[in-house]
Amino acid sequence: MSRTIEFRDALREAMSDEMRDDPRVFLIGEEVAEYDGAYKVSRGMLDEFGPKRIIDAPISETGFAGLGIGAAMMGLRPIVEFMSWSFSLVAADQILNNAPKMLYMSGGQLQVPIVFRGNDGAGGQLGSTHSWCVESLYANVPGLKIVIPSDPYDAKGLLTAAIRDPDPVFCLESERMLSMTGEVPESPYEIAIGKAVTRREGADCTLVSFGRPVHFCMEAAEQLAKEGIDCEVIDGRSIKPLDIESIVTSVRKTNCCVVVDQSWSFASIGSEVAAEVHKHCFDDLDNHVHRVHSDDVPAPYAHNLEAEMLPNPRKICEAVRSATYNA
Amino acid sequence: MTIEITMPRLSDTMEKGTIIKWHIAEGDEVSAGDVLADVETDKATMEMQSFDDGTVNSLAVGEGQAVDVGTVVAVLLEEDESADDVMPASPSPSPSQVAEPAEATPSEPVVADRQPKAAGGGPLRISPVARRLAEDHGVEVSTLVGSGPSGRIVKRDVLAAAGAGEETRSAVAPAAKPAQRSMTPPPTAVAATPVTTPEQSPDLIAIPGALQSHREPVTTMRQTIAQRLVDSKQTIPHYQVSMTFNVDPLMALRSSLNTQLAGTGSKISVNDLLVRACALAMYENPLMNASWADDSIVYHGDVNIGVAIALPQERGGGLVVATIRNADRKSIRVISAETKALSEKARTRGLTVEEMSDSTFTISNLGMFGVDDFTAIINPPNSAILAAGAAIQKPVVRDGELAVGYEMNATLSNDHRVVDGATAAQYLVSLREFIENPAQILV
Repeated sequence: MSRTIEFRDALREAMSDEMRDDPRVFLIGEEVAEYDGAYKVSRGMLDEFGPKRIIDAPISETGFAGLGIGAAMMGLRPIVEFMSWSFSLVAADQILNNAPKMLYMSGGQLQVPIVFRGNDGAGGQLGSTHSWCVESLYANVPGLKIVIPSDPYDAKGLLTAAIRDPDPVFCLESERMLSMTGEVPESPYEIAIGKAVTRREGADCTLVSFGRPVHFCMEAAEQLAKEGIDCEVIDGRSIKPLDIESIVTSVRKTNCCVVVDQSWSFASIGSEVAAEVHKHCFDDLDNHVHRVHSDDVPAPYAHNLEAEMLPNPRKICEAVRSATYNA
Repeated sequence: MTIEITMPRLSDTMEKGTIIKWHIAEGDEVSAGDVLADVETDKATMEMQSFDDGTVNSLAVGEGQAVDVGTVVAVLLEEDESADDVMPASPSPSPSQVAEPAEATPSEPVVADRQPKAAGGGPLRISPVARRLAEDHGVEVSTLVGSGPSGRIVKRDVLAAAGAGEETRSAVAPAAKPAQRSMTPPPTAVAATPVTTPEQSPDLIAIPGALQSHREPVTTMRQTIAQRLVDSKQTIPHYQVSMTFNVDPLMALRSSLNTQLAGTGSKISVNDLLVRACALAMYENPLMNASWADDSIVYHGDVNIGVAIALPQERGGGLVVATIRNADRKSIRVISAETKALSEKARTRGLTVEEMSDSTFTISNLGMFGVDDFTAIINPPNSAILAAGAAIQKPVVRDGELAVGYEMNATLSNDHRVVDGATAAQYLVSLREFIENPAQILV
């Protein structure tokens, strides 16, 4: 039985379902308990699960991220909420240097089944330091997984899979999508980590994207369809592992690929996808892979500048026209 | 030390040269200044001379083979040197040897040759999938003009060409569908249009002289013609202006001149008179003797008339334009003799760059075939070309009376950047003045 709920409700359902099912699961983060979550994702969870499993942390990301990692090493299944992934940067040593490497460094003795989750990307006029897209930066590190849901259905399915996964999983949400509504089944379900989904079928150009920009791609595809350019839109769902197979299958059909990645272009998800597509589809390409990224500047505060700096439908249309020789 | 003779750069634009004929053989003694070979470049056939004395040890390139500029074509042995010295005694080259090859041989000219050339003659740019599709459909990519950036051939270009071929194919032989895309390479021999051999069609009787489908690589000259004319027709805004001349007086003059010249070996043609008339008509119409230079128009002080010469099929066909320099200051006899000599040389040995450059106006004459009317493509950097038809006897109106007389059509193709319609028309009026009052041509 499914009904229409918000993205934030879908995230909460995934956590609550797993907590009911598995006593090892707990949630820790700033304002997750008494305040019902800074963005109301954890609303009501304190009442249901009590303060031992819904834990308000001080403003000390290094501390509570490290606490979570230690708990995971000892057999619990922590969910660590960062109010924003921008704040995870101060916990970089914990989340990048400890969590993903522990299994390797302990010779397989210490599994770290932890989920780090929070808002990623520009939230809307939050300025340069609070608007991070961390995916390209973090995906560079071996030993971790990254999922990035683009709608409520995926939010519940991917977070459920992340909580059940035996390794550190980073779940990148978006403040701009928390109020988005969508059909979500009541009962728990998993969406396989590392599998992409085709959001729109098309013959002329493959658009590959992750998270919120998937919607920009769909918008651009609508516009381009009016111009006679038929786009296929692939939502990666996971960044790491990357479902290059689905992308390659699509590009072999369209002979053309544009990657839309909200992080900066240098050494990014976009460049990784481009490199893989060039490797696997060399003889299938009619043009080099085109990329749409955030501009190579710190996120501006001004509303209009921020919108221009991020990937947007106009930039995507321009890239597709260029890639398909329709510029 | 041995002397390596490399393919020289004989013109500014030369990238490759073809040894048409070797004048030396292995073992021959040569001295500086000796002609070693005839080399065909993109423009002309030229002589390659030796700069050194020595004995020919080996010829590295066969006749008819095109090689890049700088490629070793022959090796000479210096005096007191034997063939054994050609193999270096020590594997490590001396510093001077290391320093030298800068301008010398590319180590693997084969690699350069593998790169197919584009239709325009430059490097072929093609997207990977377009290349693959071209193979699948048997489309010859070197004939395509790419629609992508820098002329890159992209998917749609190949599919369009394949579609065109496909239609022909299905119309002629539905069975000859292209191989589906597979891991095995498709039969590349499949041409754009299928070959129907007599064996396949037992119903057809063999007719001597019937056509056979086949494909032949183009000569350097054909490539040059293709590139220059495509450039001309694509970049020059052409338009044509025609006029019919009464050539009764010209025919009479020619006849009279040839009667008087009988026995001298000279025989004046209509074209010779036309060359001079065109040259003299420039004085009143200097724009016709000018060139477009992007931000300026270059008015030429000399009137050099190019004469298009068709080459015999047995030499590969094609055409060249020989330059009659200062045709406005030369007598008809000189023009006639020069034209004859250059045509003869073009048809047998080929012209030098010098003999083909610097024309300021060109005449193409198909009158000898009986063609009465045609248009020509401008020969850059000229601004105009005159397409002259045959002098044909026909019913004409002279002084209000129907009569029998000679008339000739001439069509001027003009570069509208330089020559406007009225200017071209005025030139034809001036030309008519000379042709219809031809005594002026002689003085």
